[in-house]
Amino acid sequence: MSQVKHKRLSDLHPGESATVVEVQAKGPVRRRLLEMGFIRGAHLKIEKLAPLGDPMELVIKGYHLSLRREEGDCILVTQAQ
Amino acid sequence: MVTIALAGNPNCGKTSIFNALTGAHHHVGNWPGVTVERRSGACHMGSLEVEVVDLPGTYSLAAQSEDERIAARFLADPAVDVIVNVLDASNLERNLYLTTQLLELHRPLVFALNMTDDAERKGIQIDLEALAILLGGPVVPTVGNRHEGNQELKDAIARVVSGEESALRPVSVNYGDDIERELAKLAQEIARDERLASEQPPRWLALQLLEAAPEAEELVEQSHARSAIQAQLRTSLDFLENHLGADGGTLLAERRYGFSHGLVKEAIKETGNGQRTFTEKLDGLLTHRWLGIPIFIATMIGVYALTFILGKYPQDWIAAGFAHLHDWAATHVPPGELASLLVDGIIPGVGAVVVFVPVIMLLMGCIAFLEDTGYMARAAFIMDRLMHLMGLHGKSFIPLIMGTGCNVPAVQATRTIESRTDRFITILVCPLVSCSARLQVYILIAGTFFPPVQAALAIMALHFLGFGLAMLMGKLLRLTLFRGDNAPFVMELPPYRLPVLKSTVIHMWEKGRVFLSRAGTVILAGATLVWFLSHYPGIANRQWTAERQQMEETIRARKLPAVQEAQQLTAIQHAHESRVMNSSLAARFGKLLQPALAPILDPDHNRPEAWKDGVALTAGFVAKEIVVGTMAVVHQASAEKAEEGAPLSPLQDTLKRRSGMTPLTALAFLVFILIYTPCLGTVGMILKETRSWAWTAFSIAYGLGLGWVLAFATVYLGRIFGYA
Repeated sequence: MSQVKHKRLSDLHPGESATVVEVQAKGPVRRRLLEMGFIRGAHLKIEKLAPLGDPMELVIKGYHLSLRREEGDCILVTQAQ
Repeated sequence: MVTIALAGNPNCGKTSIFNALTGAHHHVGNWPGVTVERRSGACHMGSLEVEVVDLPGTYSLAAQSEDERIAARFLADPAVDVIVNVLDASNLERNLYLTTQLLELHRPLVFALNMTDDAERKGIQIDLEALAILLGGPVVPTVGNRHEGNQELKDAIARVVSGEESALRPVSVNYGDDIERELAKLAQEIARDERLASEQPPRWLALQLLEAAPEAEELVEQSHARSAIQAQLRTSLDFLENHLGADGGTLLAERRYGFSHGLVKEAIKETGNGQRTFTEKLDGLLTHRWLGIPIFIATMIGVYALTFILGKYPQDWIAAGFAHLHDWAATHVPPGELASLLVDGIIPGVGAVVVFVPVIMLLMGCIAFLEDTGYMARAAFIMDRLMHLMGLHGKSFIPLIMGTGCNVPAVQATRTIESRTDRFITILVCPLVSCSARLQVYILIAGTFFPPVQAALAIMALHFLGFGLAMLMGKLLRLTLFRGDNAPFVMELPPYRLPVLKSTVIHMWEKGRVFLSRAGTVILAGATLVWFLSHYPGIANRQWTAERQQMEETIRARKLPAVQEAQQLTAIQHAHESRVMNSSLAARFGKLLQPALAPILDPDHNRPEAWKDGVALTAGFVAKEIVVGTMAVVHQASAEKAEEGAPLSPLQDTLKRRSGMTPLTALAFLVFILIYTPCLGTVGMILKETRSWAWTAFSIAYGLGLGWVLAFATVYLGRIFGYA
């Protein structure tokens, strides 16, 4: 695991898939992200960015969700090799 | 009487199950958090009389948002006999997260596996028996908007209530040895306070404490056993952090999703053919990088046209109907105070309320349609970047744009914004957007004091100023009064669905009715008050009335040609109305306001008639376009259209010659008109939507303050640049 580079969710590009490593947000944002399925090991796939570049649309736990860049910044992921 | 609560995620079709159960048709939403209010309906299940309560759709019971608090509190109520957990069969894993919390409440649970048609289309096969065993309650497949499975659901509920249901057994998530041990210790400490333990199952409270839920912490704070509980909580959290390497919230969420994932694996066979679904294909177009925004703009133009252009017809009919009623009453009711109350107070007042109904119904219908189809979430997705810059939410865009038509339905349209903070900020900045009523005042004043091109430019500039201020105030409110209240933008993009037209129509009807009963009463009361202020004491002055009648008789006695007689009678009527108005309480109020308004409307103290602006502004509180009519009365001139060949209407002519306004003070007046206070209709709506007199008062106060400051800045800067 230590060699695998962690990325921020917001750095991923449309079409890329990744696995959640950690949610670094605090308080209500953290809890909301957890209950929406951003738990360790959860798979996700970036679908697209909004026409203005933010927010992003992704698929996690089989449903579609949109997140702002600032929320994506506090989610660490690893990309499948 | 048996009480059942409907719980489930947003977009799981809970409201359609509610409609099917109760027969009371409500709005079927497709937008996170569409049921903000508690809805209940009665129905019969066999011999049982049942009250069904539709809870707000939530993703969890963590009691973070308003909706979750409502749901969590109601579910803790011992009056709830059965909980019906509505699950979206096509999105089961996430939907079961809430279920893991509901299981902890130790109430009989019935599961409505909704939207099974969607799931089938996605190639999802669900083993109902296995699911019922794993969840410890009956599982009924349903398709809410087609009422499929409705009878079976009722039967299952009836069986649970009568104790005949065999599938019922207690199930709860196993959080693993370490967590379970700490939970047991915490629950033991909680159980020492009997009152606390009777309110909620101790284990459920312990779980909430491990997640640091504020509501649970408050409950413990009031307990006599609080020090023991808090000490145990600290020990448990430290232990878990050290042994499992994560905080309580993370650990619980992981175990819950573990439970849900395991369950889905056991009970579901996915034969997904890997093809792009209808939603994905449509989304490819509607949120396309280049096409997304044009499609959105076209949709907005469509909604706007439907609401304000199509809505104009019924509005005109209503206005014409009330005008007829007004004329009829004016000629048939013997003149006097009561007649004036009826003719100038109540009839226009009721008219001013009713005239909003068509646009409200149309706009709410459009919005419900957009929500039901799922496009609303995409609209927010597309606009969020722009709105977020202004301290607002993607969903704030539609209310702001609709505000250019009328602020009243625009404020109501903020209902779609889930987060209280985002909604309140949007409500507070919405009135800054210049509406079509204000346009009438701009046309009057700008047309009087500016040459045509400049007038058009000024009117455009006012609209931009309104938007600019809305952005600025949004950001400012976010940074000050609503600081730290940052709701995350984690928004589900639900699948596209075909709305049920019937429920949209019923939704429109409800919105119109609610407006009439809640906001309407406030507006009518306000309109009557302003009528009183602008007619008393003059209208009760017998001598004036006698003088008027005498003059009218003198004219009639002269037997002039009909046209001339009518003209003179109108002049007398205007003179009388002007006399009443100019000596009224409102006029006195206007004069009282004069010192406050002088710096913006009479900076050189050379306008003896400046107080009349104050009167017009006071009356304009009812509705901004009333400023025009009031100016006509106070200046004793007709506001009718200019005669052919004349560039200005009689009122404009009078204003130009006699009011003493200069182009600069006229501009300041317009800036003030734009901002000074939401009109009465909007105030009524703000009160209805915020349910807070304090925020309603704030919206008026900051409008007045901001309007004054900017009007003053207009005069001040204008002078620096050499205008007078």
